[in-house]
Amino acid sequence: MMTEALKNFTFEDCKRSCMHPDSFSSLNDQSILVTGGTGFMGKWIAEMVSYVNETANFNIKLYLLGRDIAKFKVEVSHLAQKSFITLIEQDVRNVRDLPTDINYIIHAAGSPDHRDHVSQPLRTIETFYKGTQSVLDAATRLPDLKRIVHISSHQIYGTNGLESPIGENFIGKLEPNSLSNTYAESKRISETLCSAYRNQFKLPIVVLRPFAFIGPYQDLEKPWAINNFIRDGILGGPIRILGNGSTVRSYLYGSDMSYWILKALVNGGVGENYNLGSSEAISLVDLAKKISSQINNSIEIVSKSSKESYTYLSRLVPDTSKIVKSLEVNETSALDDSISRTIIWNQLNKKVIKK
Amino acid sequence: MIKQILISDPTLRDGNHAVAHQLSAKQIAIYAEAADKAGVPIVEVGHGNGLGASSMQVGLSLEDDVTMLETARKHLSKSKLGIHVIPGFATIKRDLIKALDIGVDVVRVASHCTEADITQRHLGFVRERGKEAYGVLMMTHMASASTLVEEAQKMELYGAEGIIIMDSAGAYLPSDVEEKITALVNNLKVPVGFHAHNNLGMAIANSITAVESGAKILDGTARGFGAGAGNAQLEVLVAVLEKMGYITGIDFYGMLDASDIAEREIMPQIPVIKSESIVSGLSGVFSGFAKHVTRISKEYDVDQRDVYRELGKRKVVGGQEDIIIEVVMDLIRNRK
Repeated sequence: MMTEALKNFTFEDCKRSCMHPDSFSSLNDQSILVTGGTGFMGKWIAEMVSYVNETANFNIKLYLLGRDIAKFKVEVSHLAQKSFITLIEQDVRNVRDLPTDINYIIHAAGSPDHRDHVSQPLRTIETFYKGTQSVLDAATRLPDLKRIVHISSHQIYGTNGLESPIGENFIGKLEPNSLSNTYAESKRISETLCSAYRNQFKLPIVVLRPFAFIGPYQDLEKPWAINNFIRDGILGGPIRILGNGSTVRSYLYGSDMSYWILKALVNGGVGENYNLGSSEAISLVDLAKKISSQINNSIEIVSKSSKESYTYLSRLVPDTSKIVKSLEVNETSALDDSISRTIIWNQLNKKVIKK
Repeated sequence: MIKQILISDPTLRDGNHAVAHQLSAKQIAIYAEAADKAGVPIVEVGHGNGLGASSMQVGLSLEDDVTMLETARKHLSKSKLGIHVIPGFATIKRDLIKALDIGVDVVRVASHCTEADITQRHLGFVRERGKEAYGVLMMTHMASASTLVEEAQKMELYGAEGIIIMDSAGAYLPSDVEEKITALVNNLKVPVGFHAHNNLGMAIANSITAVESGAKILDGTARGFGAGAGNAQLEVLVAVLEKMGYITGIDFYGMLDASDIAEREIMPQIPVIKSESIVSGLSGVFSGFAKHVTRISKEYDVDQRDVYRELGKRKVVGGQEDIIIEVVMDLIRNRK
């Protein structure tokens, strides 16, 4: 059950990220469908729409489509109870007919959790390929559809070599005969599907390529470095860096992410691709130090690696100049603040229990 | 560059196979204290097949898990307490929570070499509790290097901080070890480890080949006390690693003393490579089968070497101990 303090917490985040609620006036009295609506993105989009409805006195309706509505109701009961939200329990692969009043679609279904991809590779491919096709097929039958935002992934860039930051025109290599590329290849074919539906059925599709995020609703048990560092830190350490500590990442805060997605829904160019992420790059070693210093300086940081040195450095940092300029968005949360707020939210929410 | 090798010592776990899981609390206390004094980094304790495995199927242990772990915990101060966990034998609710509450520091979650998927929940749970979690692939001679890489990568994603491959049948030659460890080191982010068995007399040579190929974790037991022909003999391993310039953090004399104590206090007999162990290694049969094969073969008067050959053909794995009797019956039928 979410406390008032936690509700106010995310409200304040949305207030900071959404500097101009009026910029969403075209969404007033409109209906938005979010597939994957009960996940990290869905929750943050619901928070942002809630904020906009409340502060600008709009009437934006949300349909949140997901596989586990009961879990959503428990985790975010304050959102589940909102009158502007309708919950639809359905597997995205089985979508046939959608409510006809839907004007906008954010297609965010499918887990980015690599544990699922390697354990269930065929379901992963089905979810992204068949799921995208099901949604786009259903979209062709909507009478008043205005825009679709397809959530792709930075993984479609493949191996990026020394390219950093990564711009939207970069095309890296992917080994198709590899279990670990199941997700990336599925996301690539999903983007190609979008191009086909845009061309053949004239669907107004905008593609966003998300990088890494942090903030409330980000499950700390997910297998990503920043999540695990924060969890290890809250548990009292040690913070464990697994693999190359020089690996470089960047993290966009959840409320900024949802504001940018809604801006793409309103102002994104049909047929355009935009990176969705933070440009503030940081190595994993520095990230661990930052998190340790915010929780307790005495927390030990240990590195565990298969090799003494690496010939390849993974740098996954987006060039965000296109989205920042075209959609007039900005990062409102510096990494220090993002980390600090994530730690506080998890402590308030008792997401990590020290034993 | 000076290379640190992390040593995990399963004398009180793999060694339990050698005595049909009959190690007593007193014996556990004596060796744990000696290993701790020697500065062994991780002391693994439990039933031979790991936490929750005591059963009619694979053998009942003399002491229950709680007694074994509480005893070891009391006698370890510097050394970390480790356990071997095979999901299925060990459940999170019934076994793992209890073990972590007793104070287990290191959990090694193991699966057959092609079934890493079953380790996801256990590895995730251990990481959520802030403990050290490693992935272990068993019977790895049965899978190619590329398959092992795929399975190990799954464990890495599930939260494993290192991946150990086991030569559970003692079937490897150094060239096999080199091929597999090199592939894993090249394709994993986390450290790679090796657990040897000595059926073909290769345990030390294979362990050294592993570190020379990039492994950073090695298992070894006092006097090689372990299933079948035993494991890599830890006091020898420490000596050879030191001679080669590796650091283990173990006091060499302390380790020699611990091995002497282990020989005197916990071993009915020092592991030797018996004739049937050689056949077992050549056939690629899990070393944990040794006691069962000897007992059943004797009972039905069949040549246990034939039993190993047949088990090898059937590609049996740990947990399929009940097939031994089926194989013996077939041999008797064919004899007629």
